[in-house]
Amino acid sequence: METRYVGKSVIRVDGLEKVTGRAVYGVDVELPGMLYGAVVRSPYAHARIVDIDTSGAWKVAGVKAVVVGRDVPYTFGGQVKDQPFLAVERVRYVGEPVMAVAAETELAAQEAAERVRVTYEEMAAVFDPREALKESAPLLHPDFGDYWHVPLYEGVAGTNVCMVRRLLLGDVERGFAEADEIFEDEFYIHPVAHSPMETHAAVAQYFQPRDEYIIWSSTDRPYRLLKELVQALGVSLNQVRFISAYSGGGFGGKGAMVAEIIAVALAKFTKGRPVKVVCSREEELTASQTRHAAFMKLKTGVKKDGIFTARKADIIWDNGAYSSLGPDVGFRGVLTILGPYRIPHVELLSRLVYTNKEIGGAYRGFGTTQVTWACEVQMDMIAQKLRIDPLEIRLKNAYVDGDSYINGQILRTVGLKETLKKAGREIGWGQPKPAPRGSKFRGKGMATMLKPTATPTDSYCFIRVNHDASIVILSGAPEVGGGQKTVLSQIAADTIGVPLSSIVIPNPDTYYTPYDMAVASSRTTYHMGNAIRQAGQEVRQKILQLAGKSLETDPSRLNLSEGKIFDEGGRELITLQQLLNKIFGGRGGSILGEGHHSPAGSPLLAASPGQEAISSIFWMFGTHAAEVEVDIETGVVKVLKIAAAHDVGRAIHPALCEQQIEGAVVMGLSNTLFEEFKMEKGKILNDTLADYKLATTLDLPEIVTILVESYHEEGPFGAKGVGEPAAAPTAPAIANAIFDATGVRIRDLPITPEKLLAALKRKEQTEKLSQEEKAVRPG
Amino acid sequence: MKVPIDLTVNGERYELEVEPRETLVELLRERLHLTGTKEGCGTGDCGTCIVLVEGVPVNSCLVLAVDIKGRQVLTIEGLAGEGGLHPLQESFLEKGAVQCGFCTPAMLMSGKALLDRVPGAGEEEIKSALSGVLCRCGSYKKIVEAVKAAGEKMGGKR
Repeated sequence: METRYVGKSVIRVDGLEKVTGRAVYGVDVELPGMLYGAVVRSPYAHARIVDIDTSGAWKVAGVKAVVVGRDVPYTFGGQVKDQPFLAVERVRYVGEPVMAVAAETELAAQEAAERVRVTYEEMAAVFDPREALKESAPLLHPDFGDYWHVPLYEGVAGTNVCMVRRLLLGDVERGFAEADEIFEDEFYIHPVAHSPMETHAAVAQYFQPRDEYIIWSSTDRPYRLLKELVQALGVSLNQVRFISAYSGGGFGGKGAMVAEIIAVALAKFTKGRPVKVVCSREEELTASQTRHAAFMKLKTGVKKDGIFTARKADIIWDNGAYSSLGPDVGFRGVLTILGPYRIPHVELLSRLVYTNKEIGGAYRGFGTTQVTWACEVQMDMIAQKLRIDPLEIRLKNAYVDGDSYINGQILRTVGLKETLKKAGREIGWGQPKPAPRGSKFRGKGMATMLKPTATPTDSYCFIRVNHDASIVILSGAPEVGGGQKTVLSQIAADTIGVPLSSIVIPNPDTYYTPYDMAVASSRTTYHMGNAIRQAGQEVRQKILQLAGKSLETDPSRLNLSEGKIFDEGGRELITLQQLLNKIFGGRGGSILGEGHHSPAGSPLLAASPGQEAISSIFWMFGTHAAEVEVDIETGVVKVLKIAAAHDVGRAIHPALCEQQIEGAVVMGLSNTLFEEFKMEKGKILNDTLADYKLATTLDLPEIVTILVESYHEEGPFGAKGVGEPAAAPTAPAIANAIFDATGVRIRDLPITPEKLLAALKRKEQTEKLSQEEKAVRPG
Repeated sequence: MKVPIDLTVNGERYELEVEPRETLVELLRERLHLTGTKEGCGTGDCGTCIVLVEGVPVNSCLVLAVDIKGRQVLTIEGLAGEGGLHPLQESFLEKGAVQCGFCTPAMLMSGKALLDRVPGAGEEEIKSALSGVLCRCGSYKKIVEAVKAAGEKMGGKR
């Protein structure tokens, strides 16, 4: 099908409001009579709340509400209902909200919060999930057995294990018996902060007569938050209304209620006045959510020629104090620890463990980023030991079209090998290394990955063609920066046959926009795109029917393109606007279409009996190849270049795909080399962006993006997704390049100069020792 | 105890009474409702609050409103002129330099300060001039390209 907009990098539809400062974000929402909230947070990682004295807070002028945990006796959590709105009886991490204040000004609210006196009785705390697994470990949730949880995820009551998942496919012992070499290695990936430039923010208002809550928020998934809140409060879906503002970055972190829950708790007590809660940067860094840290053990069996025979993986995820989206991360994350490789026998164990720390949450890649670190560093170690080129060993094991995934699902549209070859070519793989410049050594490394999308999930939309031929699309997918509105508008314009400029997609409002699972899991282009295809086709057909009637011709002979009706010969008959004017006769009117997409039931999901649940409607593949320069005197790593090749299915908007990939590379580089929480007794010490370092323009390497298009047969115009995958291979590609440059293998992140320097010293000493041994040995 | 000040923002003159502790970003966002200027940290680390004071980029969260007495302030809302968008704004749109857009105003204002001073700024100068603004979407590559293109469009030659 010929397209006018799809495949082209049109100017993004939300661009003008963003470059003129007119876009309204969560932090910009302002309402008449609005109050401001402030939070008192726990200074202890684990403690019993003995007493809360709020009398001081009420003495501050302008205070309108002071709320403690018992005033809002609800718990929430989409997968395990384990989190109170405000702590009741005990606190489980430093930064946990204990009580909240609403006042006429921000300053008054903060002053009042400072005057609250909370008495605690400190309890033993646990910070390492491996320690938390021990029987002697302090128990975070003694009532875990009584918590509601989704049936898919089982924890172990009486322990800190919030979710445990085992997956056995094939005969792993047989696989190891068949191997020539067995590799057993341990890896660690650290927690990082999402650090959106816009911190979490929300405004909530409560209307007592209807027991109704209205929440303005910059979440990326209003319907998920809505569902969770409705469940917590025991009200209906038409008593809670989420209105989306633009999101100033989320990366998964805005998929959980952080500011929202405080605003709701306060709004219940302010007699109808709205309450705004904006997290400070300190709160954002220490008391929102982090990427889950993970300890990973990998045992891999390989034939001499580099072909895999079996893999066993044991992953311990650091959940933090509450579960949020953790169970899903722990479940989906394990599935990609096999990498995009054919491995006949696998055994996976994934345990998500409570610790007295900031909550782990969804983070770009949703587990895949973590496990790709282990998978791809070990892949390099295997290649090195077997003396096989790292690119070649990957190509040998890589999935191709028609291969079956571990559950028997037949993989289609697999652009993996093309990403490997093209990224390799771009970085100059196999070319001789330049000689070191003084203490600076260069090296190249690569890493590859695959990622599924949550399946099946649903997206719904409405399309309304107004009587002046302008169009409004009601979609529940917020614009979080990825260009969601632009891509969806392109798909709509080409499907209906109207100019892009005639379409508007307002920000979601759950009172009007129908259900959408989330802007998450790289799913929006595919799912909402398909829903819009369906609704767009419906309005297109209705318009052509009306045109046929009006022009007294067979509608099947008519075409609608760029808002004009043409006959078979391409002769323009009437504009859409003229047609609608004729039909509605100067009165008003609408032409409506509705769309729904769910991949459930697609033949593409067929798998071995009982294993369908881990099929994915599309699989994303990508390869990063990195070139680095390591200063062996300082341990400083400079990333010179990253070639990032990604199979996106079809690039609806090539520049937006590039943005996702370039942006994820910068984020990956930043996570890998600069970002690290410094903790003391559970307290994060580096709670500013001066101390928690993010990459700046000065750290920008040369990034070459390569888009591979494999054309998914059920995707809108062939598209898959791209938001998350690019965050996963950057870290192992850099680490593998560091090994190439220096011979030092880093297995635990981040790669700080101190760590690398220490490793270089250790290597030097070992080499010296072995040389001395050789010298001593006779002969 | 409020202090009377006068200042010019985006060409408009204001006479206001401010608290001694009030910052410029608070004044802009809360009193003048110019919410295009963002506050990402309040401690001068993220740069999203950058505005131009007498043409110089400053973190408006670190500047007290009283210290702006009698000065000229330019914010993102004043960047586009009567004749339409500033070449930097056009370039940001054309080059795809906008993602979530939260740092965009500060990137644009930092870019303007640079191009006003060094019309044909090269890549290294641009990177250095923009290094005070954090972008977690990681749009740096396209942002640098956009500032460079704007400089060329504005006729800056080296």
